[in-house]
Amino acid sequence: MAGAGTVAAAALITGCADDGTATIPPVTSYTDVDILNFALNLEYLEAEFYLRAATGAGLSATDAGTGAGTVTGGAKVTGLSTAQQNILNEIAYDEQQHVRFLRTALGSAAVSRPNIDLNAGFSGALTAANSLSAASATNPLLPTTFNPFGSFDQFLVGAFVFEDVGVTAYNGAAPLISAAGIASGYLAAAAGILAVEAYHAAYARTTLIANSINLGYTAYPYAQYANRISALRAALGGGNETPLAGFLAAPATVATVTTSTVVAADTNAIAYHRNTDQVLHIVYGTFSPTAGATTPAAGVAKGGFFPNGLNGNIKTTQS
Amino acid sequence: MANQETQKLDNIIASRRAMLLGGGAAMAALAIPSTAKAAVTVTTFTDADILNFALNLEYLEANFYYLAAFGTNISTSNAASTAAGAAVLGITGTGTQGTVAVKANPQVPFALPAVKAYAIETAIEEGKHVSFLRTALGSAAVAQPAIDLNTAFNTLANAAGIAATFDPFASDANFLVGAYVFEDVGVTAYHGAAPLISTSTQGKTYLQAAAGILAVEAYHAGLIRTTINALDPTGSLGYIGYTQKISTLRSNLSRAALSTAPNPDDIPLTPGTTTYSLAGGTAVTATTIVDADQTNVIAFSRNTTQVLNIVTGGGAVTAGAKATGVFFPSGLNGTFV
Repeated sequence: MAGAGTVAAAALITGCADDGTATIPPVTSYTDVDILNFALNLEYLEAEFYLRAATGAGLSATDAGTGAGTVTGGAKVTGLSTAQQNILNEIAYDEQQHVRFLRTALGSAAVSRPNIDLNAGFSGALTAANSLSAASATNPLLPTTFNPFGSFDQFLVGAFVFEDVGVTAYNGAAPLISAAGIASGYLAAAAGILAVEAYHAAYARTTLIANSINLGYTAYPYAQYANRISALRAALGGGNETPLAGFLAAPATVATVTTSTVVAADTNAIAYHRNTDQVLHIVYGTFSPTAGATTPAAGVAKGGFFPNGLNGNIKTTQS
Repeated sequence: MANQETQKLDNIIASRRAMLLGGGAAMAALAIPSTAKAAVTVTTFTDADILNFALNLEYLEANFYYLAAFGTNISTSNAASTAAGAAVLGITGTGTQGTVAVKANPQVPFALPAVKAYAIETAIEEGKHVSFLRTALGSAAVAQPAIDLNTAFNTLANAAGIAATFDPFASDANFLVGAYVFEDVGVTAYHGAAPLISTSTQGKTYLQAAAGILAVEAYHAGLIRTTINALDPTGSLGYIGYTQKISTLRSNLSRAALSTAPNPDDIPLTPGTTTYSLAGGTAVTATTIVDADQTNVIAFSRNTTQVLNIVTGGGAVTAGAKATGVFFPSGLNGTFV
């Protein structure tokens, strides 16, 4: 980590303009510490979601760091089969270990867990996703009672909110790592975590698609709900989405089934990448400091899952 | 400071290249019927060499999925591939062009609609990887080498202790097990290659693409592992056991020498018997959908020699000889062979 700064360009200096609005720092690149801390914020969010879903309890005080923020919401998912519980346990463990790995790699430079609000994050996403388009047979509204901790199927939709975002965020960050950081193994580590996030994303997408193929979306609308979330992420995060597909209103047969879309990727079958602004807009659930705006803009520093914003230098959107 | 950093970088690059090159020196032949005894002896390599290594693997994967989903190889269309919109792919290039050996009528007689949907999706995506890499490489692209999808699976199944013969095109479940052989290997290969790509502007572009393909291979691996896990959650049908034997074989093939323990670089599926400690010290049982080290949960990485040993089933011990066998009876095309 030492020396990463030699490659970094401008330091972040947030000032105040005369009109009282925050000026946008002239950042052209980030240090490796900034990038890893950005990833750590996202891992805190994922770990809290999965740990609470699997066990009802979140990260230990040690894992959350000194002066960690509070976490609002989250509960053990009810009605899980043993097989389903085992899946939740695995993903919870994976994300917990990512938190620990990044905290160890960053050492004293690691940011502590920021305030996280799972209730506000999910309710905001629900409202925004439902307001994007009118309901139709193939595009039903998310129920107002939607609760990602209420059942396994709702949990899958909740997981869907995060996983492809993790893939695109790590994919976007990989080429930003400095030559010194590559030498120190950070690129290899980031690529390895990227792969794990893709395994997780595949789990959620495969399960949603399999149930939809086997039951039809009339009986199993959860993939349709996830597609509303996908549309919201596309609006907030610069496109970069592949909705779930391959299913029909009624159960499919071998004769009627068409290609699935387990993989979220572009026309070359290469996974999408998002820049830090696009990721921030998604986790903040906010387009712009201007109320009612429907296109991403600079100056968003908090909202959604992070009521006080991320910790670290990558916090405020610049576009 | 810059000098120290530069020196450190040089040292790491040197050691990474040594790992890439010398990994084979200590490799020993395994108990697989194979004549392959080769070591990679590359002293310098370019980004194109790395992409061409990947292209060889994509030819293999794309042909497997095209044959399973449509019953035809990647360079020949049929009614099923046309209906699915799967492109006919070029296979010409540098090196020795080969054909694909496979049984007659290889299209899987799918009984599960979801598995058919996955096969079609994966075929199209692996095909796109072939075309993307061929386009990126231009005239430097290697030709499709000779590929064996006929007896190769018998050889591997025999070596893994699964059965004397194994037909991945026989059923939904067999197809998934066949796919399991490839997908985690793709993840580890791209992971191993990513840090070797140059830091030039062009290299950064390649890195972005390689990272993106790495993620897609992990999506595929996650898809296959999720589906096998769902088909056989308790292991009573035997498919979980097959993945364990395949993972053990892959670990054996990528170990440093016969005298050393298998490389701990492959986690198979388990019937919910893995135990993890969650926050607060709670011990819980868990699945292993993710193939990653179980401490940091970072996906494994393999160097080119390790990957060559897996796909050719060979032990690389003789410097300068080309690794041949199993899926690549005449070896790969390119620099890393």
